[in-house]
Amino acid sequence: MAYMEAEDLTRFFLRKKRVKEGGFRRWVARERETVKALDHASFQVEAGELVGLIGPNGAGKSTTVKLLTGILTPTEGACRVAGRVPWAERKQHVRELGVVFGQRTQLWWDVPIADSFDLLREIYDRPRNDWAERLRQISAALELEPLLRTPLRQLSLGQRMRAEVCGSLLHRPRLLFLDEPTIGLDAVSKLALRSFLKEENRREGTTILLTTHDMEDMLALCSRVLVLGHGKLLYDGALQELLRRYDTVHTLRCTFAGEVTLPPPPPGCVLRRDGDAVEVDYPPAQVPTGDMLDWVRRAGPLREMTLKEQNVDQLIARMYQELAL
Amino acid sequence: MKTLRYMGRAMGLLLRSAMQYRASFLMQTLSQAVMTGGELLAVEVLLGRFTRLGQWSGPEVLFFFGVMQCVFALVEFVGRGVSTFATYVGSGEFDTLLVRPRNLLVQVFCTRLDPRRLGGILVGLSALALAAAGQPLAWCWGKALLLVASCLGTTLLLVGLFLIEATVSFFSVKSIEMVNVLTYGGRTACQYPVDIYPTPLRLLFTFVAPFALCMHLPVSWVLDKPLWGASYWAALMAPLAGAVFFGIMVRVWYWGVRHYRSTGS
Repeated sequence: MAYMEAEDLTRFFLRKKRVKEGGFRRWVARERETVKALDHASFQVEAGELVGLIGPNGAGKSTTVKLLTGILTPTEGACRVAGRVPWAERKQHVRELGVVFGQRTQLWWDVPIADSFDLLREIYDRPRNDWAERLRQISAALELEPLLRTPLRQLSLGQRMRAEVCGSLLHRPRLLFLDEPTIGLDAVSKLALRSFLKEENRREGTTILLTTHDMEDMLALCSRVLVLGHGKLLYDGALQELLRRYDTVHTLRCTFAGEVTLPPPPPGCVLRRDGDAVEVDYPPAQVPTGDMLDWVRRAGPLREMTLKEQNVDQLIARMYQELAL
Repeated sequence: MKTLRYMGRAMGLLLRSAMQYRASFLMQTLSQAVMTGGELLAVEVLLGRFTRLGQWSGPEVLFFFGVMQCVFALVEFVGRGVSTFATYVGSGEFDTLLVRPRNLLVQVFCTRLDPRRLGGILVGLSALALAAAGQPLAWCWGKALLLVASCLGTTLLLVGLFLIEATVSFFSVKSIEMVNVLTYGGRTACQYPVDIYPTPLRLLFTFVAPFALCMHLPVSWVLDKPLWGASYWAALMAPLAGAVFFGIMVRVWYWGVRHYRSTGS
């Protein structure tokens, strides 16, 4: 049995339909519509995996996380984590669980974060020395030490997120959920957080599931992704495979020494001139990059060349488009 | 034991949070003290005003009033997390409690524990002292026990009533104020003995929101005028109605938790 299992996991929400006209009817109208936040999704995650959940806004990512954490109960289907039903065996389940909501703080707003961590120790009822050891380790890795005596409300967004991540890991959870953890972080903080999560996953074997809109997060962290759209699970597999499927265009940019006459490029390529440089878009699935290099060599003496893959964000946007999301 | 320690720590953190804003903390404490003092003065006025209410003398009425004051101070101290629970659900902050390995209801209490609210007990105690001084009362341990049982039972009853509103908030974001009729209304109405009211209200406060059983029956026994001629044991057991009411509402509330919808993202 897999560590985490979802079988036909489904959550519907009833939403009152707004009746546009009629003064009184508007108040008594009881029309409702069903919103399928998550629609019969099945997947399995093994212990120690690092999995990314992606999808456009409203795809069902947060709902999935809330079902697996036990915050929501499923409308249909079932999920199990370590053999437990999250909402039914809530206390035992969350004891081994860490959660970070990018949009919402779980620490106490007005007190120094060290005090928040103290109360968390009480809540999780962990031994004092293990807690101190863990706090030392994580706060060093996340460079939180100078901030421990600062109230949460005085921290910047990036500092606060690091504090949240620290708070979610002090009790040594086996499973960590991160809901948009890098939202609003600057480049340095993002990089630091990514490498920390990767290290945590490697050293402690913590299973990590994260939702994000940041494709760089995905590339850096997740070997496996689940793509959700309109509540349906659309793809479950390796990130590289997903990229290959949609990554149909690479761009080769070259500058040559002196004037050259370009031979016609292989079929399927688009040629552009950009000042001194020449840019060729080619589909690597049909035209091997080696062929392109041959073509460049035939054109003349090469001075400089760069190869660009398509931006991941553009890829994902195209995938959403193709899947009609 | 662990739960009590957790509640103590949580309360400490909340106090420290409040003290972060020193001016506001001082103002709050001060205003609560002033309010408490004001109510004390009101008690003085009341004592002179009530000569007789039904079969009850002025000091006896004041005695009921005092018990209710003590109870409500306890409720405000421990139960504010429950009475303000709707905002927690509306903002989705309840998510946070659901991912922590502690009893949910205890965590809800811990969101708003404020020991300063206990100041209200002073009003109640002084009302009780004035009332006791104004009439010949023979004291014994049995009566003290009745008072304690009555306070606990009524506190549980009121927190249970607040739990109704908390449960409603799972289903309707703008929670209905209707329950306030029973909580704040019940508090105000039932600081006077129940037998001064017409039958429908008497039935309401006996069988629906059993203030009569939790409070009036044992307190009337303490005043040597037991309602319905109840025996000591009946008066001692009656506050259990509050515990039962609370227990049922806790069940209902947990059923509501299953229907929690959280907020978007």
